[in-house]
Formats: sequence, structure tokens, C-alpha cells
Amino acid sequence: MTFNSLQFLVFFMVVTLWFFRIKNQKGRVLLLLIASCYFYMSFIPEYILILGGTIIIDYIAGLLIEKNEGSARRAWLVVSLIANIGVLAVFKYYNFFIDNIHAGSLFFGKSVTLPMLKIALPIGLSFHTFQAMSYTIEVYRKNQKAEKNFGTYALYVMFYPQLVAGPIERPQNVLPQLKEFRAYDWDNVKEGTSRMLWGFFKKVVIADRLAMIVERTYGHTHESSSLALFAGAVFYSFQIYCDFSGYSDIAIGAAKVMNIKLMENFNQPYLSHTISNFWSRWHISLSSWFRDYLYIPLGGNRRGAFRSKLNILIVFLVSGLWHGANWTFLAWGLMHGLLVILLTWGKKQDTKKKTDLTVLARILFNFVLITFLWIFFRSENIGVAITYIREIFAFHGGSNYIGVSRTELVFSAIIIGILLAREKYRPAHTIKSDAGFYCYAGAMILACYYLGVFSENQFIYFQF
Amino acid sequence: MFKKIARDILIAFGLMALTLSTSRTAMKYTSDKRDNNYWWGTYQCLNGDLVSMSYLDIVSRFNQPNPRGGFKHPSFNGQRKMVLYMDGDSFTWHLCDSDFAGLESFCYFQRNHGLKYHLDTTKKNVLVIEVSERYLQSYFTGFQMFNEVIDTTIKAKKISTLPVRADAGICYSSMLPSISVNSLFNKNINQNLQFNLFNYNFMMPMFESKAALNYYFFNRASGDVVISDDRKFLFLKETISKTDIGSSYHPVSPADASTIVDVLNGIYDHYKAAGFAEVYFSVIPNSATIMQPDGYNNLIPMVQNNPRLRMKIIDIYTTFKHSKEIYYLPGDTHWNHKGKQLWLDLLNKHLLTDTSGR
Repeated sequence: MTFNSLQFLVFFMVVTLWFFRIKNQKGRVLLLLIASCYFYMSFIPEYILILGGTIIIDYIAGLLIEKNEGSARRAWLVVSLIANIGVLAVFKYYNFFIDNIHAGSLFFGKSVTLPMLKIALPIGLSFHTFQAMSYTIEVYRKNQKAEKNFGTYALYVMFYPQLVAGPIERPQNVLPQLKEFRAYDWDNVKEGTSRMLWGFFKKVVIADRLAMIVERTYGHTHESSSLALFAGAVFYSFQIYCDFSGYSDIAIGAAKVMNIKLMENFNQPYLSHTISNFWSRWHISLSSWFRDYLYIPLGGNRRGAFRSKLNILIVFLVSGLWHGANWTFLAWGLMHGLLVILLTWGKKQDTKKKTDLTVLARILFNFVLITFLWIFFRSENIGVAITYIREIFAFHGGSNYIGVSRTELVFSAIIIGILLAREKYRPAHTIKSDAGFYCYAGAMILACYYLGVFSENQFIYFQF
Repeated sequence: MFKKIARDILIAFGLMALTLSTSRTAMKYTSDKRDNNYWWGTYQCLNGDLVSMSYLDIVSRFNQPNPRGGFKHPSFNGQRKMVLYMDGDSFTWHLCDSDFAGLESFCYFQRNHGLKYHLDTTKKNVLVIEVSERYLQSYFTGFQMFNEVIDTTIKAKKISTLPVRADAGICYSSMLPSISVNSLFNKNINQNLQFNLFNYNFMMPMFESKAALNYYFFNRASGDVVISDDRKFLFLKETISKTDIGSSYHPVSPADASTIVDVLNGIYDHYKAAGFAEVYFSVIPNSATIMQPDGYNNLIPMVQNNPRLRMKIIDIYTTFKHSKEIYYLPGDTHWNHKGKQLWLDLLNKHLLTDTSGR
């Protein structure tokens, strides 16, 4: 059940109305738990068993971590981490590992073939395992009390708006909200609905429209002109942003309607002026997860310059691998890490005031840099990515057709302009007057229907 | 009070819509009951399935009605002693005994319903397997052959434990009755919801206005339909998308074609052993394969020309390819009257010259 489906719209309506019909928090938690199970099972029903298994292990581990001290405490944390990372290793990385052993053995003149797993990757596996790990780590660090109520803990991991593509939440933020009964609040309903509509707009009007261009350019690399390929790369930057941030908007909005505030995941990332600045604005819940649970435990910047740079590189490599079991994601992560290191090498905090033109130039340069790195993210393999970049720099002619008519191309550019302006100058989703809300909702529904591209495209980040 | 009642009505309505759209039986019942002539009836376009899918009734170029039946009958004066079984899809619906030469009887089986037969050994039994190109790879690569037929009386048992029956036939693994929890999560639920919530005659202006906007403003069709490069035909998106296995442009390797040949040989041996005098195979090309051949993946010739293939071929691909006539409807996935007639002529020629068996 993707957010941009009729099934979700009906499901959301039923669950939300029922949620407010229930007058006690226990009942609401139960309802949301059942709804979340249905939501998850609508992808591949059997995989609920994997999710259920890790939830039970983490729930017990949390209780035992809190109860014990010393090595036993640490041992239960290790059990929880092994369970979560183990599931990831088997379902997400096993085939990649086996594939590379085979390729490596061929390089040395022998053929080692191990059996591959013929299984589909559970939807949103990396998201909910990371969210589960943040719970046991926080309990271990004594920042969070172990949750006694199994249903509440299960809902923390399974809360359907953010179950399959985040934001990757922290227990300190979500658990207290799941325990507290909150009365119906019309202002939250308006704000949440407005945000959801904006998310739908970003997905169906912008991302899925740009997908037509991107599919064409990536599918016709050799016939397309350098200009068309560059345009395809630029449009992919906006496609992935609108796809993923659109999902986050719908998730945050859906939770808001039910009076639950989820963390922000994006903050105008393409207005960043450095790569490190980009990472403080893009997929914030993942970046902060890696900062808190990997970078700082590795020593952060407290162990000298070399170790600090090495830690940055490790974090970006792991971040690349988190996105997928493919060398393209590793290369993408590695290059981001290297650029962060290189572009901050020996630099001190820049306190000089810059002209608007300088700021704009830096933003543009940074955007182009990020766009070229997205090529690795989008390509099937590294060879394809290198060919794509080489063809851009070949500055050759060829077909300028990029999958859509000229009118649609201009229209795409205009809506990207609208997107950037809206998020820069009117980032909030609060609408005070009811009339204003109804007008906005009506306009957005019409825009989504008439301008939307409905092809049941899944959200890009679902695969992770 | 009013708000509470409205809320409860909406909850009940939503639950009903989800339940109804999940159940195959309920969907069949509702679709049968809705009268197309009323405002609440189902939208039905007679100008082609792709026109219907894209709501492009406004574009006259794509609207070409296709008369059913009325094919030129083959002349035959001999003794009618052949029984023709046909396992086909929508290309061969609505065929009847008189469309063929020298038949005593004709048994047609729609692929989705499985092939069941009981051979009369005193007759010459011939089987024709017809498949649209877009299903060629999906049906005949991951294909498994079972020695059982679907039996509704024992569907609760696992397929592997079903007894082998005398009238054993062939069915497709993906079409076996669903007996797991998966049946609670119908994969077609979004299509079903659209049908139940929006597919009404009175809502058509809304769909048509969106289709018109896309067509006149953005030069494209809506949904899963794509306009051909020369803008004269509509194509199903899955038949032209490079990433779709049913596409005419999806890359295929000789190994892929070889796998299909292996499966076809297995099917051939199975039916020959079952008593059929001959088994014919015919692939009907996607309209994009013929009307927009640049970049075609050559799947059909790769399969048909494979020297290991034992099945006899009704080769309509080569005939269509070398003809200057148009054999497809502009707003439909299917062939036009001429195309079907040509295929029938070709098949009849094979049947009349068939010397196998009795």
C-alpha cells in the first residue's frame, strides 16, 4: 500500500476517524497497531513475522538492559544489535556478499559459487531496524526507560506513517506521545492535512512527472545529447527530493492529524552551500542517527584530525551501504565522504559576510556537485554511471528529446520553481482560517488530480 | 451529533469499500449487477481497450470500431474428423467452429481458466496454443507443468497432494487457486477501488477532461497508455517500456529465448504423450513490434527460428512484418478484422495440410 494509492486514502480515512472515536489511549494504541500490521502486510504478508520477531527480541532486550548492570547489560544490547543487523545482513546484503565472493574468486582463477537467496527485500527494512536499534541503544545509555507495555513498544517500531520510509524516529520523541491521550484538535487536522496534500503534490505532480524524463535519459544514454543527459541528471536531483521529501511530508502530516509530532527530515537541502551543510538538511533523521550512534562512538572529532577524517569516511561508506547492496551506493557514499573531507581540509570557520552573488554561486556549485553524485545513486552499476558522466562531458549532439513534450518540459521547470519558492518563503503548513484551509485543500486536490501522473510508481526510498 | 453520525457512516463506508474491493466474488457480483445504460453504470468504450483506458474518446483518429465475427470461411468438402482444442487469450476470443476447416468440433479454453480435456481417441485431436507477445516471457519461462487440473472440490488441499486425474491437463502456477493469507491482500485492490468508487458513467466528464488536458497540452495519453512516435496508434505502456518483460524493446538474450524453447518443448512432449496428434504454437506480436519496429528485441524470431523447437509454428509475425497493410486497431491492443482473418487463413492452411496422426 503506497501513500499515492486509493487504498491508502481509504485506509487513512477509516483509521483516523476510528482513532478519534476511541476515548482511551489503550484502545487507540491497539487500533494503530492493527492498522500498522495491515499496512505492512499489504506489501508482503509473510514478512510481518520477521518484523514481529525483531520487535519481540528488542522489547525483551530493552527490559533486560534496564534490569541488569555491567557486562550483562552490554550483552543484551549486543543481542539486540545482532538480531537487527543480522536480519539486514541476511535479507539485504547476503546476495551482494555472495556475488562478490564469486567475482573475487574468478579474479583469482577459481570459481566459488555459493547459493543465492531467492527472496524479496522486506519493504522499509533499513528504516525499522534502525529505529529499533535506536531504542535499545538509548535504553543502554540510560537516556530512555525501557517500555513496559509491549503494544506501545511495538507501535513505536510499527507506527504506519513512518514504518517503511521514515523519518527514523527516536524513542524519546515518539514513546511519550504514544502513551498520552490527546483530544481531537482541529488545528492539527488542518496542518496535517495541508502537509499531506503538499506531499502528494510533490510526489504525483513533480516527482512522477520528472520520472518520465529521467527514465528516458537513463534509458537512452547513447542516443541523447550531452545537454539532454545533463538535464536528465538535474531533473533526477529534483525527482528524488520530491519523491522522498514528499513521502516524509505525507508521513509527518498523517501523524500530525492524529496529534503525533514526528521529527523533520528535510530542510531545503538544495539551498545548502557545502556538502556537509547538505547532509544537515537531507534525510536529517538518518544523518543524525549516524552521528549519534556511529560517528560519536567512533570518537567523532575528539581523537585528532586524521581519526576525525577517517570517522567521516567510515560514516559515509556505511551510509552508502545502508541505501543498498550495490557498489554504486558505496561509491556514492565514498565520494560524499571524500568531498566533505577535501572541501573542509584546513578550513577554519568562515565568518566573513558574503555577497548574495557569492552565496548563490556557492549554492549552484554545490547543487551541480550533488547532481553528479546522484548519477551513481541512480545508475544500475558503476560502469553505467561513468558512461553517463562521460557522455555529458563529451559535449556531443544527438537527440534532445527527453521523454516529454516541450510544453511539459517548461511546465516541469515552472513547478520546480514553485516548489523552491514555496519551501523557501512559506515553509509552514499552518492555515489559520477554515475558509483558507478549504480553498487550499480544494486547489491541491484539483492540482493533484489534473496535473498528477498516476502510474502507481513506488516511492524510491521504499527499496531501502 | 450530526458529526458523529457522519463519522460512523464514513468509517462503515470505507471498511465496506476495502472489503468489497478485496473479494473477487464480491467484485464479480457488483460488476455483473451494474447496468451500463444508467448514470451509475460502468463506463464502456466500444472504440478500443486503449481508448477506454486512456479516456481518449475525443480523439477520432484512435476511435475505430472493430466488427466481431463475419470472417471469410474456408472452403472444405472433405470428411470432418478433426477436434481442435485452442488454449488462447483475448486475441482468439469469439472464434467458432465455422471459422476453421475440416473440424468436427472446436473447444476453446481461455488461458486464465486452465485447459481441461478428455480426448476422443477415434478422432484426430489437434491443440493450438496462442499467446500474445507481451505474455510470452512471463508465461513460458517461469512456467511449471502440473499433472493435475484445478478441482474446486478439493482446493483446500495443497496442490502437490492433489491426485493425478485421468483428464489431467495443464495449468499455470500463477493461476493456481490462492489458499493463503495472501488472498486477504488482493494485489488488484486499487483497480477494484477505482472501479467501485469512481467508474460510473456520470463521472466520465472528469476523466475525459483530464485525458484531454494531457493530450492537447502535454501531447501524451493518461495512465498506462502511450502514443506511438507517429501519433497514429496507442500502445500499452508495458509493451514499449524497456524495463517491462512484456515489452517489444525489453532486452532479451539468446539464453532467454532458449529457456522459452525448453519450456515449449516440454509442453509439446506432454501433450503429444497425452494423445494429441499435433501441437501448434502461435505468438501474436505486440502492435508496437509491427507498427514501431525500430529497436525491437526480436524475441519472436529468436524463439520461432530456434532449431531445437519441436512445436509447429503458426508464424503470423513474418506475415505481418512484410506486409504493407495495417493489421492493428489504432486504439486497441488487438488486431483488426484483417489481422485476425489473416491469422485464421494461416492456421486453416496448416490444418488442411496437417498429416500428423489420424
